[in-house]
Amino acid sequence: MSVISLEFIRRRRLAVEVRQQIWLPYRLSIIIGSVLFGLGISVAILLGRGIEISSIYEEFIIFTFFNAAGISAVIVESIPLVLVGLGAAMAFRVNFWNIGIEGQMFLGAIGASIIALFNIGPEFLRLPLMLVFSVLFGMLWALGPALLKVRLKVNEVISTLLLNYIAYYFVLNQLFGPWKDPRDKFPHGEQYENAERLPEIGWEQVHYGVVIVILMVVVVWWVVDRSRFGISSRFVGINPRMALAVGLPVSAITASSALISGGLAGSAGFVIASATEFRLTFTMAAGYGFSGIVIAFLAGSRPIPTLVVAFLMGSLYVAGESMKIFYSLPDALVGLIQAIIVISVIASEFFTRYRLRLAYFGGA
Amino acid sequence: MDLLTNWLAFTPVFAMPLVAAALGLIINERAGILNLGTEGIMLCGALVGVVGYIEFGDSVALGFISGILAGLVLGFIFGFLVVVMRTNQVVTGITFVILGSGLTGLMGIPWVNKAIAGISPIHIPFLTDIPIIGRFIFGQDLVVYVTIILTISTWYFLYRTRMGLELRAVGENPQAADADGINVEAYRLFAATIGGAFIGLAGAYLALAMAKIFVLDMTQGRGWIAIALVIFARWMPWRVILGGVLFGSIEALIPRLKAIGFPIPQYYLEMTPYLATLAVLIYAAIRVRSGQEAPKALGTPYVRQDRQ
Repeated sequence: MSVISLEFIRRRRLAVEVRQQIWLPYRLSIIIGSVLFGLGISVAILLGRGIEISSIYEEFIIFTFFNAAGISAVIVESIPLVLVGLGAAMAFRVNFWNIGIEGQMFLGAIGASIIALFNIGPEFLRLPLMLVFSVLFGMLWALGPALLKVRLKVNEVISTLLLNYIAYYFVLNQLFGPWKDPRDKFPHGEQYENAERLPEIGWEQVHYGVVIVILMVVVVWWVVDRSRFGISSRFVGINPRMALAVGLPVSAITASSALISGGLAGSAGFVIASATEFRLTFTMAAGYGFSGIVIAFLAGSRPIPTLVVAFLMGSLYVAGESMKIFYSLPDALVGLIQAIIVISVIASEFFTRYRLRLAYFGGA
Repeated sequence: MDLLTNWLAFTPVFAMPLVAAALGLIINERAGILNLGTEGIMLCGALVGVVGYIEFGDSVALGFISGILAGLVLGFIFGFLVVVMRTNQVVTGITFVILGSGLTGLMGIPWVNKAIAGISPIHIPFLTDIPIIGRFIFGQDLVVYVTIILTISTWYFLYRTRMGLELRAVGENPQAADADGINVEAYRLFAATIGGAFIGLAGAYLALAMAKIFVLDMTQGRGWIAIALVIFARWMPWRVILGGVLFGSIEALIPRLKAIGFPIPQYYLEMTPYLATLAVLIYAAIRVRSGQEAPKALGTPYVRQDRQ
């Protein structure tokens, strides 16, 4: 008798089947469930560090969403996050893994600082010039990896990442050397003058970076969803060999997407330098590279969802910032929570793509 | 003279973590797995190595074993995600870098910045005292010599055993391997786990032998340099030693040049390993020869159900 039942179990296996289609509410609930699962693990880690649940609730919900100062702080925090998210998304759409966002941000801030330090151009043109320069400098930093990828097939993940370190040490060299603040001799750049700072729009601390962000989202949305370039780049992203076969300029599309990505990252550097730090600093880009990747990934590399995800990420930044100060938690906290959520979400995709089923093998 | 002796003597110390991590990555990539999370796994190996060392009463051996086990576990988790859960290897890898940085940052607080005695180099009378090359060849710590043995065994495993052949088949053409009855998923999971152990060893070495301290984010891009080193080495174990010594000598030279006040600004000196890595990547891309390409299925998941 027992032999028969054993045989019965042996012939049952867990089979993985590819889903042909998935019911949308089911798919959404898997994604939302996985984000909540990731947040749950993060909360568990915080509780393990001796932080009370009530203060986590207060920091993350009450102080960030239910008062004007909190919301304005989240908006200010999400401005550069939207820009790096869009930047990462532009590159990911053509399978160009731009890990060099932080380096491109540094270059953007350097470009803006050159205009500011040497007082180039009349005052009313100063800010537009800084923005243009930051975009160009960010593009410049993406140009090398883009060319290396399309010409020599050099892995862009490594080349863009190495350029982060090179940009970082260049900034250190400038800030400990020629660009050191002449006033307090600290290793940060000289403060920007008023004409070089993004003005506030008049509600709480929100500044005109919001306008830049809205413009960028609209432009990227148009490029991605409405232009010929967007359609071609989607083709390149999904099937580069087929795209090449039907005569699309795959290299040019890949390289220009990478350049746009670098330019957007550069503009994020400008926004932080001219609206938050008011100068070039060597800590300004920390963490934004991975945040951009996470935002683009969770938003499926689409511009409008990028805006939403970046806003949520901004609240994580604001709450994480005050948690770090009150509980002297390390800088890595926000990154850790992001990483846990991403792992949870990528693992959950298994359940949207496949179905697990108990299958019965063999005859009777 | 002293400069040269010291430079040579410290080159293997800087080369070892790169070599060990690159060997782990070769095992990974030969099976078709691209582990971009190396930087994060190394960092965890470094912290857990120090934790093991301190908590087991200043035991070098247990420190290294702890670091290796940390790498093994993380390598297994990485493998589970990309092989069983079929997640995107690039996204998973990058996430592991941040995960490693975050975990060590949050959990490592009690052990950060604590100087330790760590492992010391061996001393063989007469041999170690040979001028210039004595310390280079006969004055390293044991783990350096173990790493050379590991390089040879990795080569032997990959090219002289049936398992190694099957593992490489999985990385080149998983469909054919599967049709031949090779368990693709098992080999990939095995490769990710063993590769992770090598990366953990590299991390533990950073903390226990090179720096003799754990500092936050102390890997400083070495995980990424190791990934580039694999490309430079054309996925062949013995060439990793060559590349490792090249990078090790650059890294070993920097503090010595600083000490004698070499007239290049400090931060430009710090840039050189990354510039050299970039140069090596470009060099490797220009000089591609047939038979030396990346494993064909590198980075692509194998899903039998998706087969056409």
